[in-house]
Amino acid sequence: MREKRLWFQIKRDWVLYAMLLPALLYFSIFHVIPLIGMKLAFQDYRIIGDNVWVGLKHFNVLFSSPAFLDVLKNTIIISSMKVIFFFPVPIILSLIINEVRNGPFRKYVQSVIYLPHFLSWVVITGVWISLLSPVDGGINVIRNFFQLPSLDYMTSKDHIRWVLVISETWRSAGWDSIIYLAAIMKISPGLYEAAKMDGATSLQQMRYITIPELLSTVVTVFILNLGFFMNAGFDQVFNMINDSVISVIDILDTYVYRIGILNGQYAYATAASLFKGVIGVVLILSTHFISKKVSGKGVW
Amino acid sequence: MRMLKKLTWTTAIIYGILFLISLSILIPILNLLAMSFSDPLRVHELKGLDIFPKGFSLINYEVLFSNPLIVRSIFNSLFITAAGTALNLFLTAMAAYVLARTNFVGKRLVIIFLIVIMVFEPGLIPEYLLVKDLGLLDSYLSLILYKAINVFYLFILMRFFEDVPDSILEAARIDGAGHFKIFTKIMLPLSKPGLATLGLFYAIYHWNEYFRATIYLTDPNKWPLQVVLRQFVVERDNTSLLGAQNVLSYEQVAALDFGSLQAGTIIISMVPLLIFYPIILKYYAKGALEGGVKD
Repeated sequence: MREKRLWFQIKRDWVLYAMLLPALLYFSIFHVIPLIGMKLAFQDYRIIGDNVWVGLKHFNVLFSSPAFLDVLKNTIIISSMKVIFFFPVPIILSLIINEVRNGPFRKYVQSVIYLPHFLSWVVITGVWISLLSPVDGGINVIRNFFQLPSLDYMTSKDHIRWVLVISETWRSAGWDSIIYLAAIMKISPGLYEAAKMDGATSLQQMRYITIPELLSTVVTVFILNLGFFMNAGFDQVFNMINDSVISVIDILDTYVYRIGILNGQYAYATAASLFKGVIGVVLILSTHFISKKVSGKGVW
Repeated sequence: MRMLKKLTWTTAIIYGILFLISLSILIPILNLLAMSFSDPLRVHELKGLDIFPKGFSLINYEVLFSNPLIVRSIFNSLFITAAGTALNLFLTAMAAYVLARTNFVGKRLVIIFLIVIMVFEPGLIPEYLLVKDLGLLDSYLSLILYKAINVFYLFILMRFFEDVPDSILEAARIDGAGHFKIFTKIMLPLSKPGLATLGLFYAIYHWNEYFRATIYLTDPNKWPLQVVLRQFVVERDNTSLLGAQNVLSYEQVAALDFGSLQAGTIIISMVPLLIFYPIILKYYAKGALEGGVKD
């Protein structure tokens, strides 16, 4: 009886299923099939005929390969540098912007600092190659002004990781500050009024009201970012990498691209990217459950 | 006097810092703009912090716009962006309507499916092999179908759709309108701000996309602008930029400055963004806040 009603409902709502069908079909083909295709990590790729199961062969090769371990190290170093030196910048920026009254100047600043977010990393790399050019690039003009010799940052192993961190800041600090600004706006004005009555300066208001109220947003964003820790910014590195600095900024994703797409070692590359994916999922799931336990709020 | 009193030291420092930050973003871009409009014979005088051209010349843009590779790539980009965004919006909106405003058997299952998809990203290689197996290499379908629906954006649009009052949909239902009709005749027209926001999200993604195009399109005639730009600026390939030239004399070619041509290409790729920037600021920033999205 209940089954009959279920069938009746499904038949009655056929239009809904039909409307949902393109989306489900799309996800099944372009998402689920490649997801299942990750099994290639445990196989040898054959152009003709079926792939052959080889168990953990590729992973054994991977973990005994110095090249892979270097890439893993670079990924962790670059991501850590970004967490330490980039992550706080949008928070500080939002606190500074919050001190500026609504008006033309604030509008100007916000319009300008959001702009780089909309540029592709190809364009940003172009801008930065020019800015850091050893011949008359903006940064070297400043260095020369202080009697310092010109530096070729883009090909310098000592500097290129900092170029990654700083150009990431240039692109994203403004845009990322939006989420903190939104959180600041939600703070009850009553708190500030009470503080003003007590004679608190604007610096004290920031210290005792804005920053504590902002903390939960900071934690949420931090946790969300942790899920992407192993990414380390593929598009950025892919464009800024060159032969002189490949040893210090080659990361997991660029490595997968090179050995997989360029060299055609499909199975081996898939093993590397599966390893990365598993770490990513573990990070997302663990942060989700930690956050649920600590703040009662999960990632989704 | 009252104005002066209000201008304390801290405010002055804050305004100063923010102004410097804005300059750090504007000057490198304006410098490229100045470089692209400089006289090729005087461009060597232009230093990295200058924002006004040395002399004035349109020669760089004449060269760029008479280069078939560049002109074609601009049209390719426009086509991919328009077709891709249209398909994105249609598929996303239809799914969002069904998921946000109707009830049906299996809805929970679909939502769980979407969340699983959001968490598990397939790797690059299986995706590449799939595109290859489907015979989509060197076809724009590979770019348009890939990411045809972004799950994050789908959830954002569902929130916009939830804002449409129930009474309007109920009235249409009583009048005998079916779901598809309600979707096209009521939901879409009433959700224009949401659709505009999403359309911008998707359009910017397509305009800036270069990586999939790099690996899926081997025929340079099909390349979008970003791939050509990458070829010139990142890979420093100046032969395809100058090689296809026949409108200029040898002396003119000899006088050209490759850096200025690169600068011009960068500026061209930014033009659509700058045209739409006021609208982007209005919708995109708001949409990003409401969706809490971070890409």
